[in-house]
Amino acid sequence: MMSLTQIGKPDLSFPAFFRYRQVRDRVLVTNYEGNFVLLTQDDFRGYLEGTLARDSAAYRDLDAKNFIRATFDQRKSAEQFAARKRHLHYGPNLHVMVVTLRCNETCVYCHASRADMDAVHTDMTPEIAEKSVDLALQSTSPAITIEFQGGEPLVNFPVVQHIIEYALERNKTVGKQLEFTMVSNLGLMTEEKLQYLLKHRVQICTSIDGPEHLHDKQRKLPGLSAFNAATHWIKRINKAYEELGLDTTLYHVEALLTTTRETLPRWKEVVDTYVSLGCRALFLRPIDPFGFAEKTGHRTEYPRAEYHRYYQQAVDYMIELNKQGVQILERYAAIFLTKILSGEDPNFLDIRNPVGAGIGQMAYSYDGKIYTCDEGRMLGGMGDDIFLIGDVRTSKYRDLVSHETVRAVMLASSLDSQPDCVNCAYNPYCGIVPAHSYKTQGSIWGRMRESNLCAVHKGIQDYLFGKLVDGDPATLEIIQRWTTVRPREHFLQAIPHSET
Amino acid sequence: MIELRLHRDLYRGTAVDEAVKVFARHGTFALSEQPEHWVVRVESKTPARERQLAGELGNYALGLTVKQGGAT
Amino acid sequence: MTSPIAGLPTDVVQADLGAGTVAFTIDTATYPLEAVYGASYIFIDRCFVLLDRPADGKIRVSLAPKKGVPDADALRSIVGEFGNELLGCAWRAQITQQNRAVIEALTTQALAGAMGPPSLDELASFDFTEESFEDPLGIATSWEDKYKKKDGKDATATAAPSAATSSQPAESPTGGKGDAA
Repeated sequence: MMSLTQIGKPDLSFPAFFRYRQVRDRVLVTNYEGNFVLLTQDDFRGYLEGTLARDSAAYRDLDAKNFIRATFDQRKSAEQFAARKRHLHYGPNLHVMVVTLRCNETCVYCHASRADMDAVHTDMTPEIAEKSVDLALQSTSPAITIEFQGGEPLVNFPVVQHIIEYALERNKTVGKQLEFTMVSNLGLMTEEKLQYLLKHRVQICTSIDGPEHLHDKQRKLPGLSAFNAATHWIKRINKAYEELGLDTTLYHVEALLTTTRETLPRWKEVVDTYVSLGCRALFLRPIDPFGFAEKTGHRTEYPRAEYHRYYQQAVDYMIELNKQGVQILERYAAIFLTKILSGEDPNFLDIRNPVGAGIGQMAYSYDGKIYTCDEGRMLGGMGDDIFLIGDVRTSKYRDLVSHETVRAVMLASSLDSQPDCVNCAYNPYCGIVPAHSYKTQGSIWGRMRESNLCAVHKGIQDYLFGKLVDGDPATLEIIQRWTTVRPREHFLQAIPHSET
Repeated sequence: MIELRLHRDLYRGTAVDEAVKVFARHGTFALSEQPEHWVVRVESKTPARERQLAGELGNYALGLTVKQGGAT
Repeated sequence: MTSPIAGLPTDVVQADLGAGTVAFTIDTATYPLEAVYGASYIFIDRCFVLLDRPADGKIRVSLAPKKGVPDADALRSIVGEFGNELLGCAWRAQITQQNRAVIEALTTQALAGAMGPPSLDELASFDFTEESFEDPLGIATSWEDKYKKKDGKDATATAAPSAATSSQPAESPTGGKGDAA
């Protein structure tokens, strides 16, 4: 680690605003608008002391990226900063509709507080569904995604259908760019349901926890193998996309996993399983503190240093597979790399500043309650309605997005007000989740130095910048490719044309 | 009996009053004032209950004080 | 009987293991009262929190975990966490003051973007009757009301002071130098 005592006399007139962090043997500097430069320790010293040679490569790089005070381009800085904040110009685009809490599987880490299959009182009614759609379509966002969640959404398929058909009908006059997605364990899928979902272009996402023995150990489907049920339908759905003439490199079932303690040593099996299923993306999500995790944490939780080892091993392996021609990316890496390398924000709602709760997403519970986010809904399911902002039967859209809870969450997730984050080199790329802070540390503000979520984000970014320091051309080409977003236009519902 | 002494610089008087009202049915409370403290005497059936009542009342008064922006 | 907590300054932190409580003294020159409130509030779900002022510039915080009888390690952990939260609250107060402009700009934009313009129905129900804003420059005050003479005579009948005799420049009706935007 470089010691600042090695710096002679700093020249405050030389550097423009920057934050810094040691990455391998380099010093990463980032500025407010999110440009970065990786400096040698000597160059960093020269930067601070104002002695950096004007004809050096380091100086040219710093100058081009707006790190030199004498040539600081305020307009350019503002434009780049604004580009990262484009998402603030419109309201919630993600509307999570929890159509039931009933679930046919029992997962050891369930964060949705699932209910048994006879708990029909936890089904969303068509009336609540319609009111939820009405509110969602009032969002100022030109693009709306309605995401079906549960429990297991297929349990209440009639309401899923009702939402789709009602939203399509209402959208004829509203004119949003509308998409539907469903997060399902696929255990209750049938050919008839699949044909309906295909016809209505619903993007399907499922959970695969890794190899069969691990998946089935963590996700219990009575009398059956949850893994076999899910993989059967993954293959069937992917084949259906092929039959529709869609490019299967782009159109396939998305899967994600929840990393438990048991997952950690099995990183290679996890990646191999996903590759064998034709998945192109793997989201190595750590376990979260909601729902059942409170009770099962002693079995499932782990120190985040162990998660980092697992993450690095898995992603290193994925990069090696990519070098052999296998297309697989890691979702966290793709999100951060997009922010780092492209200057754009992919608007992943849990990693943005401020967080998307209330202003980028809303969660509509089966009973009509509206929460700032799915995590807020999960806390509601645990008996704590701190993130409750309204009810579909009584609330107005503008009152929801301007609710004092939404405002509090926005302020609490502003990295410019947060100790640690305010000085962190990863500030331009990062984000925090007040619901996570609240659950783990008792307040929506949290203490990032002690936060598991911060540790995960820092660890991933350290890893990614480490790859940039290493500079292996093949690796750089691969991670650059991970930032490419190919739009999946098939899932966009046709935008109604206005009558002229 | 527990005597809960809440410093006037740190607890709002109206918050203390409100806290006593909220917990009134759970015990016996007597309010008095000293130069630097609001004093609440708490009595209940058992010492453990008194401890709990005094603690919860103090928390409630603190919470209300914080919500109202401080003692003054 | 009070006893020290391992690793924590004995003149600042004292524990009563029998009662299951711990108390420590905070210097308000280092941690402002708002930070003490902020940190204390975080603990009221799991501890009974009592604040006192033993002397000017000092606040004593007493924490008594609600459940069970905590041992020395548990009390050490509680005090440590409180200290960390206190530091976070104190520093956050400074940061938000320093970065107030950008925080306000971002949250205002986020709210405006999410809310969008009001509908006609919302405008129709808006209450415009209250005095809703301060007017330090008197912009909303009509010229006549602003320059009416004290005897009630019409100010427009009075000639403006000439530049030669007036020691003050003629004041424009807006009271300012024009629009800076």
